[in-house]
Amino acid sequence: MKRLISVLALATGLGLSAMPLAARDLLVTTAKDNTLYVFDATERSLIQSCPIGGQVMPGVIVMSPDSSIAYLVVNLWEDVIGIDLATCEKVFHAVGSSKDVTRKSMASLAVSRDGTEIYAIRNQVRKLIDRYETLPPEFVVFDAEAGLDAQPKASFEAPRRVTVMAAGDTGLVYAAGHDIFAIDPSDGTTTVAIPNAHWDMPRHSPPDVLAFWPIGTQNDEFLLMYSAALFTDETMSDIADFVWGYSTVDLKTGETDVRDFASFEVIMFSGVRNPVRPNELFGVYTQLSKHDVDTGELIKRVDLPHTYYVINISSDGSEVYVGGTNADIGVYDTETLERIGEMQIPTGADMAITTLQIAKAE
Amino acid sequence: MKPLNQKAARVTRALSGEDTGMDEVRAMQTVPAGCTTTFDPGWEVDPFGGVAALCQPMEADLYGCSDPCWWPAQVPDTMSSYPEWNQGVGSAATDWRALGSVFPGDSET
Repeated sequence: MKRLISVLALATGLGLSAMPLAARDLLVTTAKDNTLYVFDATERSLIQSCPIGGQVMPGVIVMSPDSSIAYLVVNLWEDVIGIDLATCEKVFHAVGSSKDVTRKSMASLAVSRDGTEIYAIRNQVRKLIDRYETLPPEFVVFDAEAGLDAQPKASFEAPRRVTVMAAGDTGLVYAAGHDIFAIDPSDGTTTVAIPNAHWDMPRHSPPDVLAFWPIGTQNDEFLLMYSAALFTDETMSDIADFVWGYSTVDLKTGETDVRDFASFEVIMFSGVRNPVRPNELFGVYTQLSKHDVDTGELIKRVDLPHTYYVINISSDGSEVYVGGTNADIGVYDTETLERIGEMQIPTGADMAITTLQIAKAE
Repeated sequence: MKPLNQKAARVTRALSGEDTGMDEVRAMQTVPAGCTTTFDPGWEVDPFGGVAALCQPMEADLYGCSDPCWWPAQVPDTMSSYPEWNQGVGSAATDWRALGSVFPGDSET
């Protein structure tokens, strides 16, 4: 209940406003001034700034299901913290490294769908006097209520080279590495949900995937875009095209899908599908592109003022937000791709490669 | 040829075909969805062989490359080796004059 009250207070302007309660989207991000920022995405207004201190960047953020807590990987990707958005109070802290072992989570952070557990994959290196000893990566499970001295309640050996993760209603945690793995946090059992580097696509080269931003959870989707060379036949001697495609896991059902949707004409760093019209996929980099993944049609593409790394979409599918890199977050109409608004990091600090999360609040 | 140190010995073992974990290492290939081409060497050229698809402007990309140790040869690696390099320099586009060069310390040479 405390958390619910906190979210309500935040959504109504930190409890000071008499605004009627209505569903709205919070936009949560960080910047190089080591501060966590919360915007009312609909109103384009900054409603909370939480100075975190230390090293917040590169900045990896996942939200609790009730949108009250932002979990971040901080301290040069070594620690996981939870920040109550209403009060800026730190409510969770798990230190990653110990005296002789450095543990870094390369954006590998997820929260269970009921908010009770926090998951991370930590890459471990022991520093010996004359060399580094690479240890097996570990998938660790924390109790979300473990407080400021959180220790893993379970630990299992994990696949190497994993970046972003997301938890599903199936209870499994989906982790993007050379394949998209499904990890059972109750016993560490790891299976392949979507073969990626090992896919069976006879005319495709192995895919290249930039999996850096844990976005889309509010859409119940874990989607990664890939690029690949498409050959004319299975001998792979002549290239027919370079293509964009996506691999996705439905976080409600665990169903997966892999499909090409466009020729590789521009770079896109991140993409998100429309929760209302899932055939619409938006991708961002120096252009903003709108694709119909059912027909393979490029619906529209517009140039942006500068490169943006990360994209996310409103709960009603009416607007997309582009951020990262500099200090401005652009708002674009999903129908017209017109720039209809903007939000600014007040200090002018770069968002660089941080996450742009959208969290529903009542 | 005889390896003189542990790293050289590992290279020798890798070349001999022994199981050294080298199959876990993959170069980026075909069309990297990044700012540059094969092996991700730096900002020199985009995946199309030109420069139009590089991040615009370069300063928008600077901290995205230094903070996650993406290009440790081209920009200081703030993840491990030079964590203070861009602290207090919030905007690469406006504050770039405050960014200096870095050099390995004596203990690292």
